[in-house]
Amino acid sequence: MAIDLQAKIPNNVDLATDPKLQRALEHWQPKFQDWWRETGPSDFREDQIYLRTAVGVGKGGWANFDFVKMPDYRWGIFLAEPEADRKIHFGDPVGQPAWNVVPGELRNRLRRLVVTQADTEPASVEQQRLLGHTAPSLIDLRNLFQVNVEEGRHLWAMVYLLHKYFGADGRDEAEDLLRRRSGNADNPRILQAFNKPVQDWLTFFCFTAFTDRDGKYQLAALAESGFDPLARSTQFMLTEEAHHLSVGENGVGRVVQRTAELMEQGTDPRSVGAIPLDIIQKYVNDWSTSSFDLFGGEDSSNAAEAFSCGLKGRYREGDGLYKDPKALDQIYTTQIEESGKLATLEIPLRRAMNALLLDAYHADCARIVDRWNRTLAKHHIDRKITLPSLRFNRQIGIHGGKTYDPAGNPLSRDEWESKKGEWFTTESDREYVRSCMVRVTEPNKFANWVAPPAAGIHDKPVEFEYVKFH
Amino acid sequence: MEGKKRLVYVCEGGDCSERGSIELHAELADALHEKDGAGKNRLRKYPCFGGCEHGINVVLFPDKVFYSQVKMADLPEIVEHLTGDGQPLERLTGKVAKDVEQIVWDLLDTGF
Repeated sequence: MAIDLQAKIPNNVDLATDPKLQRALEHWQPKFQDWWRETGPSDFREDQIYLRTAVGVGKGGWANFDFVKMPDYRWGIFLAEPEADRKIHFGDPVGQPAWNVVPGELRNRLRRLVVTQADTEPASVEQQRLLGHTAPSLIDLRNLFQVNVEEGRHLWAMVYLLHKYFGADGRDEAEDLLRRRSGNADNPRILQAFNKPVQDWLTFFCFTAFTDRDGKYQLAALAESGFDPLARSTQFMLTEEAHHLSVGENGVGRVVQRTAELMEQGTDPRSVGAIPLDIIQKYVNDWSTSSFDLFGGEDSSNAAEAFSCGLKGRYREGDGLYKDPKALDQIYTTQIEESGKLATLEIPLRRAMNALLLDAYHADCARIVDRWNRTLAKHHIDRKITLPSLRFNRQIGIHGGKTYDPAGNPLSRDEWESKKGEWFTTESDREYVRSCMVRVTEPNKFANWVAPPAAGIHDKPVEFEYVKFH
Repeated sequence: MEGKKRLVYVCEGGDCSERGSIELHAELADALHEKDGAGKNRLRKYPCFGGCEHGINVVLFPDKVFYSQVKMADLPEIVEHLTGDGQPLERLTGKVAKDVEQIVWDLLDTGF
């Protein structure tokens, strides 16, 4: 696949051979740059950041690492290598050749899938706009900006699909992606978790650990799609997304480690500007449960349609792990509160696609929480972070409006109201965490609430000067 | 049958990709293309296995073999194991905690 890195828009999609599309995207490009200036990281525009830039696919190295000013970052369009004679491997069209054009009858459904995914990319950049001013270290500042510029590139990936395959409707949607704003009352982002403020670094780490992880699962499900350009776009996005998840997983882990180190020494974390475990737990409760809701309702006719049409598969569908690629005549079983007790609920498997994806996500979250708990055990702390049940604090789906404790046991509304202060952050908690956020700008120095990372970036040591201020 | 192939997952998580897992995946793809004529293996990337401190991690399923600290130099022996009847490379196993391994097997197992 030819890679054109010198073009106005770097790409491996032969943009130069489609002048109409190229013009349309070059027309959108300055609007994207205006959006970045207005809502991307505030300040830091003249600073040199050690960033990874996607330059292609394959064993020659898919990314380049170098110092770059963020406004000069080369946002490009990259799709994973095509698979010869790829066939659709799930749903009703199983065995048919994968589509390289949008089937007319699926146009609206597919556009909605692309737009919903696309909308999360600029949203997270907007949410994190001010965080650079309180970065706990240079490497963390660099990681924040790496996440930001790559979310911007993911927006490019989705906008390419909208422009190329959805005509005037797609171009309108691409414009709207730059008009909506995270948290704006009149024109908010589509999904609620992407309208919540991200005002401190523990929130950022929880966001990248839990909310970006939802992105991993959504992208992975779309990477199975019968619509080949979408599958290849999302496969490449997953390559970049992995770093974002590790920023979150390692970030929360480093906060837990610092707190554990202090507790092991007999020091109250609050007395030295670090973050107590009970507040970390509340942040985990907030961000994990709001991320559960991003998967949609557990019993969903929309999810069933997307699967049966061959647009969105199950997690790792292409690995051949599932017994029936059509998911017919099988029942998904779960538990739900009825009259104050848990009762079994059966959902036809095709209607339970969101629930299946959410189950895989929850297991992955359990893995990262387990990793944090091993850090606590290593420091002889006899406490654990717990991952809430999928039933806890749900706003949508089969558990929406019902009340459960974090372990998923049914509670009365009165019990829930009386205990919720123990489970969720209060303004006082958030104010305390914000008070811990002190900016650190010297290489190899870290704020007192977070441990240094175990390793640097791209073979550079932790003490490397990842940001050179102008 | 796709379902009967061995799945070979190369981790592309943050730590593993920093250590060169994307390039290792590409090399392994070339080697299997050349030497796995019988098509016994299906090579895939995986976003993260949680054994980050021991990367690069390569996981075989359903064999339930968890290779860690894999280097390019290990690839010929790994390919030999994948394409022949050789045994797993013991020097690359047992580095991550057993409970981490178990979580990965639970993630890969599906009741459907």
